[in-house]
Amino acid sequence: MKNVKRLYVCLLLLLAFSILGACSSNSEKESSAAKNDPNANASAPEDFKGTLEIWTFFADVEKMAVKFEEEYPNVKVNVSVFPGDQYQTKLMNAINTKTDVPDIFDLEKGYMGKFMNQPFVADLSAMGADDLVKDYVPYVKELGTGEDGSIRAISDHSSPGAFWYHRDLAEKYLGTSDPAKVSEMVSSWDKIIALGKQVKEKSNGQVSLISHYGDAYNSEKSHQEMWVKENTLNIDPAWETVFNNMKAIRDENVDAKLGYMSGGWGDALNEGGVIMFANPAWAGFMIDNENGAAAGKYGLAKTPSGYFEGGTYRAIYEGSENKKLAYEFLAFIAGEEWQQYNLEQTGNMPALQTVYEKNKDTFTHEFFGEQKILDTYYDLVMDIPAVKATENNDEITTLWYDAASEAINSGESYEKALSDFKGFVQNQYPDIEVK
Amino acid sequence: MPVFVEEEGESAFMFKKNSLNKDRYGYYFVAPFFLSFFIFGLGPILYSFYLSFTSWSGFEEPVFVGLANYERLIHDEVFYQSILNTLIIWIFSIIPQLSIALILALVLHEKFIKGSHFFHAIFYFPNIITPVTLGVMFALLFDWQTGSINKILEYIGIVDEPVNWMNDPWMARAIVALAIMFQNFGFNMLVFLAGLQAISKDLYEAAEVDGASRLQIALNITIPLMRPVIIFTLITSVIGGLQIFDAPLMLGKGPDNSTLTMIMNLYETAFVRYDYGYGATIAYGAFVVIALATIITFMVPGVRNKKEV
Repeated sequence: MKNVKRLYVCLLLLLAFSILGACSSNSEKESSAAKNDPNANASAPEDFKGTLEIWTFFADVEKMAVKFEEEYPNVKVNVSVFPGDQYQTKLMNAINTKTDVPDIFDLEKGYMGKFMNQPFVADLSAMGADDLVKDYVPYVKELGTGEDGSIRAISDHSSPGAFWYHRDLAEKYLGTSDPAKVSEMVSSWDKIIALGKQVKEKSNGQVSLISHYGDAYNSEKSHQEMWVKENTLNIDPAWETVFNNMKAIRDENVDAKLGYMSGGWGDALNEGGVIMFANPAWAGFMIDNENGAAAGKYGLAKTPSGYFEGGTYRAIYEGSENKKLAYEFLAFIAGEEWQQYNLEQTGNMPALQTVYEKNKDTFTHEFFGEQKILDTYYDLVMDIPAVKATENNDEITTLWYDAASEAINSGESYEKALSDFKGFVQNQYPDIEVK
Repeated sequence: MPVFVEEEGESAFMFKKNSLNKDRYGYYFVAPFFLSFFIFGLGPILYSFYLSFTSWSGFEEPVFVGLANYERLIHDEVFYQSILNTLIIWIFSIIPQLSIALILALVLHEKFIKGSHFFHAIFYFPNIITPVTLGVMFALLFDWQTGSINKILEYIGIVDEPVNWMNDPWMARAIVALAIMFQNFGFNMLVFLAGLQAISKDLYEAAEVDGASRLQIALNITIPLMRPVIIFTLITSVIGGLQIFDAPLMLGKGPDNSTLTMIMNLYETAFVRYDYGYGATIAYGAFVVIALATIITFMVPGVRNKKEV
C-alpha cells in the first residue's frame, strides 16, 4: 500500500510541476517576445532569418510562401492549411490557450470583424502599415482597419464581382457579345427584368438571362447602411428596393431558379441555359477549362452597382516573437511585385490601385478572350463603399436574405419578410434592440 | 466444532482480505478508460454545464451571467420549434424505418429466400455512408430545377412543372426523414435478424405441426419473442433520432426553420455565431428533452417488464 501512496504522490507532483512549468514558460515567452526578435536590426531581404508560421484556410498561401522564400533566402515559411469552417474554431482555441499560435493568421471577410479589434491582433499601423495600403482600393483598406483607425489586417487582393456571360448565348439572344454594349443593356435592374422577359420569350422558356434572384441581392448588398446603430437594428429603406427587384425577377420568371453555387448553377455556368452570372473575380476555379475549353467563352459586363464577395486578410499575432519578419511578409504581399504575379498566375484581382492602373489597358485572361477585364473591374471596385468590418453585419445581412427569399418563394410581401427578419434578429442577437 | 467454525471464519476472512489486496490491479486495468472518460467525457460535460451559466464568444474570459441563458431558453420560440421539428422528423422516419426493417428481417429469415446474405449486405450499405454524404445526395435528388426526382416525375408525366420540394415545411421534413430512414433501416434490419435467429426452431416446428399459417407464426411466435430486440431498437432510435444533425444540416433549415433540429440549432448558436454560453444552454435543454423522451419510452406498456419474455 505504501508503494501505491508513493506512486500517487509522485504522479500528483509530476502533474503540478508540469502545469506550473507550462504557465511559467508561457509568461516567459510573452515577456521576452519583443526582446528576442532575431531580425530586430535586419533591413535587406537577405538579412532576415528564421521560420515564419502561417495559418490559413486558403491553399494558395503556399504560393506566396514560395515566392517570399525566393526573395528572402534565409527564411523558411511554414504554411498550415486548415480548409473548411473549423479553421475559425481552431484558431480561437490556439489563441485562447496560447499554444502553437502562428505568427500570421488568415481571416475571412465574413468573420474578420470579430477578431480584428481583439488585443491579440498586432497594430500594423505602429509598424508602418499605413504606407503599405495608401494606394489600396478604398474598400479593401477600410475592411482591414480596426475600430481605433489603425491597420489590423492586410489583404493582397480585391474581389470585385461582375456579370460573367456566355458570349455565344449573348450573341444569340441579346444580339451582341460586346462587353460595353452588354454592360449598357444590364445597367439597371429594371433593364435586366425587361431584357430577361424578352430572352425567355425568344428562347421559348429554354434560356434565362440570369440564374437566380440572388444575383440582385449579392450585387447590391454592400450599398446599404450598417444594420446596427447605437445597439439598435437599423433597417435601410434601400433594402426594400432590393426585395422588390428580387421579387420581380421571380414573379416575371426572369431567373432560372438555380441557387448560387448549386450543382445546377455550376452546370449552367459551364454549359449554358443561363446567359449571365454575377460572380466574384475569384470564381475562375469553377470553370471547366480542360484542354482550353473555356478560352474566350465568357464576356465580363458591369453589374448595376459595384460589389465584392469574400476576401482573405492576414493579421499578425501580438504575442509573436517574429513580428518583424511577419510584417516583412505582409509588406511583401501588399507590394506591386507579388500582386502583379498573383494576377498573372491566378487571375485574382489586385488590392493596389497602381496595379489596376498598370494593367487595365493590357491585361487579358484566357476565359475572357481579348477583353481588358481590369478596365471593367476597376470601375466596379472603386464603386464599392468603404466600411469597417464589424462583428455581425454580414450575419444579419444573411438573415435578411433568408427572410426575403422565404417571403418571395411563398409569394408573401416585404412586410412579412421584414417581420420574419426582425424575429430572426431578436432571437439570435438578443442584445440588439429591435423596434 | 467451534474450532472448525473459527478456522473457517478465519480462512474466509483471509480470503476476503487477499481478494481486497488483489483488487487494486483491477483498478489499474480499468484506469485508462476512466482517465480518458474523466478527461474527454466528464470534463467537457461539466465544463459545458459551467459555460451554460456564462456569456462567452470565445475571446477573453467567460462572464458569469447566472440563469440568464436558461431564462432566454425558456422564452426561445426557435428552441421549441426545433424540438417540434426534431420530433416530427423522428416520427416520420422511425415508423417506416422500423416497419421496413422488421418486414425485411422476417422475409430474409425465411428459408426459401436464396442468397439472403447478399441482401443483408445490400440493405446495410446505406448505413456505412456518412450522413453528410446522404444529406448531399438527397439534396441533389430533390433539387427543384435539376433533381432526378423531378426529372423522372416530369418524364412520366405526373407533374408539368418541377416541384419545389424544399419550399414546403412538411415536404422538407419528410425528405429529411426519408434520408434518415434510408440510412438506418438496414442496421435495424440486422438487429432484428439477430433477434430472429435467437428464437428456438422447436417453437416454429411445433407451430407447423399444429398447422399454423406463416402469418399466424409471425404474429403469435416471432413478434412476441422479438420484444426485447424491438424495445432495444426503439430506445436507441429515440436517443439517436433526437440527436439528428448532419443529414438535415446538408439539406438546410427549410422554410420557416422547418427542418432546424435541436442539434442544428445548438451547432449554429455555438459554432456559427460563436455564442458558446447560450449554445451550452441549448445543449442542456436538448439533454432534458432527450431524457424525457427516453423516460416516456420506458413508460410505454410492456417496455419495462422484460422478465416475462
